[in-house]
Amino acid sequence: MALPERQTDIGPPDYRQFLPPVIEKNYGKWSHHEILTPGTMVHYAESGDKLFTVRVASPRLLATDSIRELCNFAEEYCDGYLRFTTRNNVEFLVSDESKLEPLVAALKEKGHMIGGIGPRVSNVIHTQGWVHCHSACTDASGLVKAIMDDLHEYFTTKALPNKVRLAVACCVNMCGAVHVSDIAVVAVHRKVPVINDDAVKKACEIPTTIASCPTSAIRPNPKEKSVTINEEKCMYCGNCFTVCPPIEIHNPEQDGVAIVVGGKIGSLRTDPKFSKLAIPFFYNEPPRWPKVVAAIRNILETYAKNAKKHERVGEWIERIGWEDFFKQTGIEFTFQHIDDFTFMRDTLRTSAAFKY
Amino acid sequence: MSGKHKTPMLDELEKGPFPSFITEIKKARNSSAMPEMADDELGQLEKSYNSKRGYWKHGGIVGVLGYGSGVIGRYSSLPDEYPGVAHFHTYRINQPSGFFYTSKALKEICDIWDKYGSGLTNMHGSTGDLVLLGTTTENLETLFAEYSSRGWDLGGSGSAMRTPSCCVGQARCEWAMIDTMDICNTVTQHFQDELHRPAYPYKIKNKISGCACDCVAAIARADISVIGTWKGDIQINQAEVKKYADSGMDIQSDVIDWCPTECMSFDGSSITIDNSQCNRCMHCITRMTKALKPGKERGASILVGSKAPIVVGSLLSWVIVPFMKMESPYEEYIELLENMIEWWDDNAKPRERIGELIEVKGMRPFLEAIGVDPQPQQVYEPRKDPFFFWSESDFA
Amino acid sequence: MEQSELQDKIFAYLEKMKGKKKLKEKDIFKAIMAETGEDKATVKTALREMINVGRVMYSYGGGASSVEIPSEEYLKEKGLL
Repeated sequence: MALPERQTDIGPPDYRQFLPPVIEKNYGKWSHHEILTPGTMVHYAESGDKLFTVRVASPRLLATDSIRELCNFAEEYCDGYLRFTTRNNVEFLVSDESKLEPLVAALKEKGHMIGGIGPRVSNVIHTQGWVHCHSACTDASGLVKAIMDDLHEYFTTKALPNKVRLAVACCVNMCGAVHVSDIAVVAVHRKVPVINDDAVKKACEIPTTIASCPTSAIRPNPKEKSVTINEEKCMYCGNCFTVCPPIEIHNPEQDGVAIVVGGKIGSLRTDPKFSKLAIPFFYNEPPRWPKVVAAIRNILETYAKNAKKHERVGEWIERIGWEDFFKQTGIEFTFQHIDDFTFMRDTLRTSAAFKY
Repeated sequence: MSGKHKTPMLDELEKGPFPSFITEIKKARNSSAMPEMADDELGQLEKSYNSKRGYWKHGGIVGVLGYGSGVIGRYSSLPDEYPGVAHFHTYRINQPSGFFYTSKALKEICDIWDKYGSGLTNMHGSTGDLVLLGTTTENLETLFAEYSSRGWDLGGSGSAMRTPSCCVGQARCEWAMIDTMDICNTVTQHFQDELHRPAYPYKIKNKISGCACDCVAAIARADISVIGTWKGDIQINQAEVKKYADSGMDIQSDVIDWCPTECMSFDGSSITIDNSQCNRCMHCITRMTKALKPGKERGASILVGSKAPIVVGSLLSWVIVPFMKMESPYEEYIELLENMIEWWDDNAKPRERIGELIEVKGMRPFLEAIGVDPQPQQVYEPRKDPFFFWSESDFA
Repeated sequence: MEQSELQDKIFAYLEKMKGKKKLKEKDIFKAIMAETGEDKATVKTALREMINVGRVMYSYGGGASSVEIPSEEYLKEKGLL
């Protein structure tokens, strides 16, 4: 069968064809919105028109049949219009108010988790993990599933002082906003890579491999036409593995995950912040990583109990001080917590005013 | 179909209230014309759950003719054990601005994908693309003909302009100061060649958020970050302020006390703002939108440099242009983008992001190259040490 | 210079550099401009034509994109051989 004629450099389809009429009519003319329930909200236009949104959780990894099911809901209740959020939630766009409650009921009946709006945990931003990535040293989807099974009430019902944005990255490349999340998991290596000299010789550019190391730990090994790694300098970032895959960074028994906290994206009240190290290591414990799940719940609940209304995790910690964060959460402070890389000067304390 | 692999570890992840990705992978076996792909994906994943390591290789020449972006080569390192995923390439479709779809469009995408791929997707990838997970080299040209002829082009990958992305913007948000979806679409269309043909030193990302809430994480995740903002006084509707107070809102503790610049006060019936001291953080506006609206002159702040930790640590974007008008067709912004990218393309080493290059070369050469003056809004504070450069032009 | 002659020179350069250095488009422009005296636009047009028909292709490896001569095996998979 002949293929249709390919087109190049056409870019994405124009978004305007996918907007429901109520949005086309009121584009740029919205007045305000109200959160009706943890999973529904209504936007009011200056014209008086209303647009209802129902948000449901998604594992991000979706089978085509699941997308078709979402489409069927959209067809029955939303004239076929739906969207996805930047955090991979699904949003149904309801123009006809009388269809709102029936849609919610129908979604619930099929077991969809409705929620994630307002001061809650929303969908977790995460990476591919063992499902699909060559550099993964944990499984992001599995961790997300285990964490959200535990915290699901904070998505569907329970309120927090403010939004809590979770993320999981399956290596330090961080194809997700882990470095700027309220609470996040990042997979880390802890052992110096093992070099397969023969394969390095065949597959890698030696100067590029040497230049890839941020701590200048890689030296040439002219005898083998390969490289060597200075164990004292290596921080296990794995950048050499990316540039030269025969430098094996993976170590299944000693790879695992760290938890970082206090990152913030928006500029509301305080400036955007990086996440900082809370717990340096947990072993990978598939399929449900129980210790990681418990540690996240502990941090989340300590925050929920002690933070002021409107405070994000990072704002709460900055108010009480990191020394008090470790005390309140009962997390052990270790050598790994003290920066000895690029942020050392900014993070060592120079004041005698601190808490015990 | 039921699978050929026993997956006791993965089956555990079908329990519990949060939607299960394992259920999704199993489901794909029912719709895809190549059910062995999702099935062997499951088999290999179960092996990973036991051995605690992945079995994927990537890279190489994999793509559609004429393009170098949008398809990412992925191969199982155990093709004899899991032949269904011997090839398991990623096909990135450039998403429409704001992730809006009609069911008709999505179903069409699904039908084609079931015919020529695994039936698995990511809605969406971290950069924003609609990601199709798992197809073979053999099927790539067919997929491209089917999708592109229906209006769906490939997204970015490799050392290219990556697929731009934006928040929902003025389609459904009263806080959006700029038309993020139109800017995103315009930029994407303008840089088609740079998006599909990876000729840059490394990746470069552009994200556009309508306000300081930054729902698309532009400041954290884009080399070039656009944040909608305003100039002029916050518009106050005192009648609405009173309504908020009457409805039980504690305006003092919920709004006034959180103002980072202490430029607001509330006397029990009306709000006063010293706009000269406002830093436009958006807290008050998000808490009482009916009463407080941003000033009337709208535009954006342009920030540059953010990236994830590899290699020398994470960066958040730095303010470069404090305020720029953003009106269609966005000529000023696109010219700035071109100038910034040209400077980076001319100066960067392979795999060096623009933020890292600015750190190496210094902010002055960058600002001079793009024709932006030094301004106090670009820094938290001036330098502390007495070491600074002078250039010949300073003596002129 | 005839387009086909220019393209042969580009191909020869890529063959010469195979296994030595991963080449970006820019590296090819530089080398071929120096060799032939043609301007960048001409070299770019010639190279892009070769990419469009699969004589050379974009590749990805070591965390970056490059331009390479495809293997026979890959051309067969693509149905180009």
